[in-house]
Amino acid sequence: MTVTEAPRDVLDVAAVDTEPVSPTGLAALVGSGDPRSIGKLYIGTSLLFLLVAGVTGVLVGFEQVDVDKPDNVLSADTLAQVYTLHSISGLFLVVLPLLLGIALAVVPLQLGASTVAFPRAAAASYWVFLVGGGLVLTSYAVNGGPFGGEADGVALFVASLVAVLLALCTASVSVATTVVALRAPGLSLRRAPLFSWSMLVATTIWLLTLPVLAGLLVLAYVDLVYGSGFMGGADGLYNQILWVFWQPAVYAFAIPALGIIADIVPVFAQRRLKRHSAAMFLVGLFGALSFGAWAQAGIDTFAADDADLTPWLHDGPWIVVSWAIVLPVLALLGLWSSTRAAGKVKVASPLLFALASGLLLLVGVAAGAATSIDALDLVGSTWMTAQTYAVLLAALTAGFGGLVFWAPKLYGNLLSEATARLVATLLLIGTLVLAVPYAVAGLLDQQRLLAFDTSGIDEVGTVETLNLVSAIGGVVVVVGALLGILAVLGARVGRGTGPGDDPWNGHTLEWATSSPPPVGNFPSLPEITSEAPLYDARHAALRDTTEASA
Amino acid sequence: MADTIATTGTGTVGTGDPALEVFTAAPAPEPPRPRVLLVGTALAAGAAAAGLCSLVALYAEVRAQSLASEGSWLPDDTVMPLTPGNMGMVSLLMSLVTAAWAVYALRNDDRVHAWLAIAVTLVFGAAFITDTAYLWQQSQLVIGETPQAVLIYVITGLHVAMVVAGMLYLLVMGFRSLGGQLTGRASEGVEAAALFWYVAVAVYAVVWYAIYITK
Repeated sequence: MTVTEAPRDVLDVAAVDTEPVSPTGLAALVGSGDPRSIGKLYIGTSLLFLLVAGVTGVLVGFEQVDVDKPDNVLSADTLAQVYTLHSISGLFLVVLPLLLGIALAVVPLQLGASTVAFPRAAAASYWVFLVGGGLVLTSYAVNGGPFGGEADGVALFVASLVAVLLALCTASVSVATTVVALRAPGLSLRRAPLFSWSMLVATTIWLLTLPVLAGLLVLAYVDLVYGSGFMGGADGLYNQILWVFWQPAVYAFAIPALGIIADIVPVFAQRRLKRHSAAMFLVGLFGALSFGAWAQAGIDTFAADDADLTPWLHDGPWIVVSWAIVLPVLALLGLWSSTRAAGKVKVASPLLFALASGLLLLVGVAAGAATSIDALDLVGSTWMTAQTYAVLLAALTAGFGGLVFWAPKLYGNLLSEATARLVATLLLIGTLVLAVPYAVAGLLDQQRLLAFDTSGIDEVGTVETLNLVSAIGGVVVVVGALLGILAVLGARVGRGTGPGDDPWNGHTLEWATSSPPPVGNFPSLPEITSEAPLYDARHAALRDTTEASA
Repeated sequence: MADTIATTGTGTVGTGDPALEVFTAAPAPEPPRPRVLLVGTALAAGAAAAGLCSLVALYAEVRAQSLASEGSWLPDDTVMPLTPGNMGMVSLLMSLVTAAWAVYALRNDDRVHAWLAIAVTLVFGAAFITDTAYLWQQSQLVIGETPQAVLIYVITGLHVAMVVAGMLYLLVMGFRSLGGQLTGRASEGVEAAALFWYVAVAVYAVVWYAIYITK
């Protein structure tokens, strides 16, 4: 018989002896299936889009200072387009991809996996996201987007946003599958680090929410292109998207914030997290309550004039969810406080980000609970805008906290500590200054921007002052975000000896490998027996040393 | 105790902390568990089902509005015969059996019958698509003329897209089994494709009832 294949041992030797040729430059970037590279691409692009969301937010803020003349600088139509660009880019092009980018890079490390599940699908998702995000901005540039005047531009917006949603869903499948199926031996789901767990919860909810929005957008696209107009055309488009910015759906985008905080607090308290399983349950409960695809707006084609197209508002389930979701946040804050109190706190920038994010999220869920009080009549007012800002900026702040905390694993460098502390402070103060006056203005009957209805405002002077303060708060947030971007850039291009592999004395597996990690992350791992394996190993070694010296 | 740095072919790993030596000196990890494709498919299929079912819910809501305000739903000149929709349902129900047969055959290292089962499943899928296309042609609904047409074409069109995706998935996994990549011990790919197919059929059951039966 003719042997046509080399024996296995010969092949193996050949494989070892032959140095693989790695692509460089653009080929390496485009062809990369390395989750850390893909994650960093997601992070970098989301920070780039953050500039768009920030600048448009500042424009909208100052436009509202004079409530009688909402078209000071921008016409009413342009203002509506700029506002929707701000909100849509803020959520779908900044917050979600930032959190997914961190997850793609960090989750495999936390779980002792060599890579993410479906790395090529994750890479493809990034490129689709990049092109889709670029086309979303392009659609606005050609007078498209919600409230756009150019039909083709509006259709382009819808199609490109669907592409962005599909990309985010694909990345979510990759992250969720990694958590479910690629954990290291012994690392049961109950022992999973809380950021990884929170990403599993978040991506599951996103996978049940984003396709619902994508389905609506496909419907809107066909309606726009073929002209039946029953979904309200370009002017009605934003109403079909609005529900993702309202509670309960908006909370789903802050689920990873809980995981980031839960991983940061014990490290800087130098104490293992109290009641890890309870924290997992609370994060899961928060996620379950944040599922909000049932609370979409209706379509009024055949509805009677007085029909309520949001029948879920002030209905039993909505009120229950609005109040119930406060409980897991409060309980988690209690767990973190008791962990902090039991340990010896080491104040550093990641902890400041965690505190800021936790506080903002508490403000957001408390505002949401108040919204459900019918007598206050807050639905549709800027109170809800303030709540959305608080929740989404809590997620953004946690995202920055994650970047600072895991910068050694992402970039092989630490971010500047002084800058990071300043960023955390600016994001916290800026968000409060942005949101609280908006909330008060909502109490004074200021309707959300796109209502263009100022007739109910009695105290116009007060509301205008509040809007000015809010606008200034927006500027502070943007300055904080810019500094954050610069700090990340500094870490990205920074040279020097590096931070070491475990600069924070971390508790979870990502700190057991080098900074930045090698390809494959870990050459080997032992059986994992706890949720804080590095913390346990350190304390066991300390105990052994003490016993030996005794 | 000296600092331990484990050196690999791709770089150095280790924290320099002797207490963490255990993480660099351990034996090689076990290979990844063979559930990745199944879990990923379950998530993707669940997401697709969520999107489609939400559209069906929207359809039901708009239909209810129309019935309440106008007393009717489909325009008078619309023809919605039951037979093509029912034949589509029957085709897909039978394909459930053949998809399960493919998985069973592959688990038992019977690649010939696995391929036969996949091929028959694909035929059922093609039959379903022709049923749906025939229904579109018969219905005389013109897309863009009425909300009903937009809703029906979008929902049934997206579902056909899901079925086509399921057929391609089965086809790819069938080719992989033909090439010997999927065997009795590694039949996960066909199991995953079959899972996607089951979800597509379940979604059709919802579409079939909401659109073709209730009209």
